[in-house]
Amino acid sequence: MKLDRFKDPGEKTLAAMLLAPAFVLLVLVVVYPIGRLLWNSFFDLRLSGGGAKFVGLQNYLNAMQDADFWNATWNTVLITLITVPGALVVGLCLALLANLPFKRRWPVRLALLLPWALPLAFVGLIFAWFFHTEFGVVNDILRRLFGAEPTMWLLTPRLAFTAICGAIIWKTSSFMALILLAGLQMIPKSLYEAAEVDGASRWQQFSQITIPMLMPSIVVALIFRTITALQTFDIPVTMTHGGPGHSTQTLAMLIHATTIDYMNVGYGSTLAVLMFVLSLFVTGFYLKRIGRNA
Amino acid sequence: MQPRTLQGVLTIGALLLGLAAGDALAQTKLRVFAGGSGQRPDVMRKVFDQYQAKNPGVTIEMETGGATSELQRQYLSTVLNAKDSSIDIYLIDIVNPAQYHSAGWLEPLDAYMGAPAVALKPYLPVYATADVVDGKLAAMPAFADALFMYYRKDLLDKYKLAEPKTWDELTAAAKKIQAGEGDSSLQGLSIQGAPIEGAVCTFLIPYWSQGKEFNDAAGKLTLDKAAAARGLSQWLSMVDAGVIKKNVAEVKTPDTVNEFKAGQVVFAANWGFAWDRFESDKDSRVQGKVGVMPLPAMRGGKSATCVGGWQWALSAFSRYKAEGANLVKFLASPEVSKFLAIEGSLLPTSQAVYTDPDVVKAVPWFKDAATVVVAGRSRPMSRDYGQVSDTIRTTTSAVLARTKKPEEGVDEIESRLRRVMR
Amino acid sequence: MNEMFAARGLRLLAATIVVVNGFVPAVWILLTSLKTEVELVGRPITYLPHHPVLDNYVRAFTDQPLLKYLGNSFAVAMMSTAASLIVAACAAYAIARLNLRRRQLILTCIVASSMFPLVTLLVPIFETMRTLNLLNTYTALVLPYTVLNLPVCTLVLVSFFQSIPRDLENAAMIDGCTRLGALVRVVIPLAAPGVFTAGILGFVNAWDEFLLALSLNSSASMRTLPVGISLYQGEFAFPWPTISAALIVAIVPIAVLIAVFQERVVGGLTQGGLKG
Repeated sequence: MKLDRFKDPGEKTLAAMLLAPAFVLLVLVVVYPIGRLLWNSFFDLRLSGGGAKFVGLQNYLNAMQDADFWNATWNTVLITLITVPGALVVGLCLALLANLPFKRRWPVRLALLLPWALPLAFVGLIFAWFFHTEFGVVNDILRRLFGAEPTMWLLTPRLAFTAICGAIIWKTSSFMALILLAGLQMIPKSLYEAAEVDGASRWQQFSQITIPMLMPSIVVALIFRTITALQTFDIPVTMTHGGPGHSTQTLAMLIHATTIDYMNVGYGSTLAVLMFVLSLFVTGFYLKRIGRNA
Repeated sequence: MQPRTLQGVLTIGALLLGLAAGDALAQTKLRVFAGGSGQRPDVMRKVFDQYQAKNPGVTIEMETGGATSELQRQYLSTVLNAKDSSIDIYLIDIVNPAQYHSAGWLEPLDAYMGAPAVALKPYLPVYATADVVDGKLAAMPAFADALFMYYRKDLLDKYKLAEPKTWDELTAAAKKIQAGEGDSSLQGLSIQGAPIEGAVCTFLIPYWSQGKEFNDAAGKLTLDKAAAARGLSQWLSMVDAGVIKKNVAEVKTPDTVNEFKAGQVVFAANWGFAWDRFESDKDSRVQGKVGVMPLPAMRGGKSATCVGGWQWALSAFSRYKAEGANLVKFLASPEVSKFLAIEGSLLPTSQAVYTDPDVVKAVPWFKDAATVVVAGRSRPMSRDYGQVSDTIRTTTSAVLARTKKPEEGVDEIESRLRRVMR
Repeated sequence: MNEMFAARGLRLLAATIVVVNGFVPAVWILLTSLKTEVELVGRPITYLPHHPVLDNYVRAFTDQPLLKYLGNSFAVAMMSTAASLIVAACAAYAIARLNLRRRQLILTCIVASSMFPLVTLLVPIFETMRTLNLLNTYTALVLPYTVLNLPVCTLVLVSFFQSIPRDLENAAMIDGCTRLGALVRVVIPLAAPGVFTAGILGFVNAWDEFLLALSLNSSASMRTLPVGISLYQGEFAFPWPTISAALIVAIVPIAVLIAVFQERVVGGLTQGGLKG
């Protein structure tokens, strides 16, 4: 039975007290910028001259017909569809492995978390180097193993896309693994012991105990992986700069170019709002799930 | 103490205080954004010290940051967008005055230096286009740069080849040397094909060489599509001939420099700074073997090159505009240009300085450089240069990566820029 | 007997995969930091340096005040993580435990703030910090970073708080604890893995952040690490060896931190109130 009234007056004040800091911070730092963003999206505001002209929904209509917008959105959605499950699977494997009782745990744990230590801005550059046609490790290994001719990874749209997804999965699987590992640690060992006694197989233990108990962590990990996947910027921009052509340009890159390079603040704001709507839609049903668990 | 002595002491004290206060009031602090390490802040600091010595009431604080054009643009975009008044003078790339002035971020210097025609008379002709926006003087030249063709003098001498004047001649020369040396990793020509600012020049050079203009004086797009396609095809034919490497669309400016320095390239297109790297770097394998010449021309055309370099601009939000303008005038003067040439090997901004005996003695290769820089052309001066540059460099790189045909690429450039450059 | 062996072999293989996956780029960077630039354009590529040099490390420290950048990044990351955790813990407790009518909406609002690309919020944030006269201070970055980390930390903590049975808190409160006391003394220790996880996530987010740090803390003495490292390159040069050396210097403290704390985050914390 859901109580939709507070149990006692004390709780209302407590709730206000506990939520206040969060909201004060949000108001101070992001509410004004987000408000400005929404406001600007209804104007034709270019820094290269001419003041702001109110255009209502025209920016939004233009976006709907903008081939670059759809291209970038499609690339972004594709990256999300590939790297979110990819990072989840890899992250889950990493977490399970790190959870095993090794004699010396720290190399495995460190290896798990090291991708995090590399600043994001350089991960793209490093992987761009790995996939470089002449100086890249990938081509070198392929040459040594199979005598293969050098592949121009980053100059072929599909291959560049694959390389970018690979780099993203590499960097973010530790994020997933970290959250999942903490979740794994919270599962009481007694459950497994009881299952052993009952004669359950390894697989049954995994699917009946581990996965269900890990669900909350999985959902949390998925929400943030998804939100950040939709905002993918650093890795593609440093690996291919959106190239060749615009084949690896994501929505965040398009917004960045529109706002900073083209100085078209009005349209850039519109695209940002559209990205927000997309994020909200996609993560909406994850959030519902969390809200339901009480 | 006697009352009269006390009075005397107080008077002197008051006078001293007054002087000190007056001094403090007269002290102006100017903040200058001097770019990144490529713009030689160490040399600039010396120039600022010179100014401070001549003008005791002014102190200059230098700020650096933003290693590349992109990062600087990001930083400046934010700061100027927010109408920040903390920085008075900016050192900006030659392609930026049009954009920044149209955005209202730069203070026109006409009031302080005279009309553009007058103020820019002593300088190289290219600045009359680059620094003048809507008839106003938007910036003053700091130091110049241009795209040169560096080459291995020793290899050309070995095979008894003359400096090639056209791309066809260069192709033939490169192939002869590559065959003769028998080294499969020796590149004939290295150009920049990555989607960086330099790729705009990669597009424009063969185009300009055919005598074509990218835009008219009013800024309207005047693209000759056939000529542009021919220019891009020229590069592709050189890739097919094995003169340019297949992954040219991955090559950035430092890559060309590093590979030429390691002795892997016969001809290299690069900017002025590269000379020092070839001749003075400890790990350079080409010391003493480097020649420099103007860029070759297309068949039946004339040599054309891109001008680079940096400009001093006064912030529209500065609180000390008069003092700032004074400083800009000093910084753009021929004396400072000479200093920068000798101390920092930065190309001078006026013809007279190139032939100055001290400069010739300190940097002998500037004599050869002079003809190239003087004949250099500026990239399209548009208030939407950000978009123009992005379109040209992205499409050029895609064509060089063979994901688009030259004709398709040119069509795309035309359709995207037609509305922007009206 | 055979099954045990297979399991052990499999585990070793698994461990190798994990270790290779995590260490390869870091090891590559380490090796690069010992090479000279000329060696990097040699063909075929080399793995171990021909003539290892330490010049790059010297240059990494002398070209720029690397230690200062490290210190700045650390300070900002620590402060914003601590602030995030405190604020998030409070908010998460309210959402997870108190029966609020608009629980769903509140959580969505907090998470929604992370759904806007930072580049579009940059200028207004810059203006705010400038108005408050906070540019080029630690606070200028700590405030936005706290807000940036709030969604992740809150959501992680909500999820962990929800998985802790209420009986334990109720037991504590029957024993005379206040609600807040229960939060601090019972819930947080039990959700410790979650707290440390949220902490590490927040820390690394702050550590990685580039855009705000570039614009808000531009003066040399207040720069953070990612911005500082981006300055080794020039318009015309990208000195991978020097940059690699700087990256190693940047990674080492984090790696040490992780190695020290990994027991806390990952290791046996279940020996707590969840027994049976």
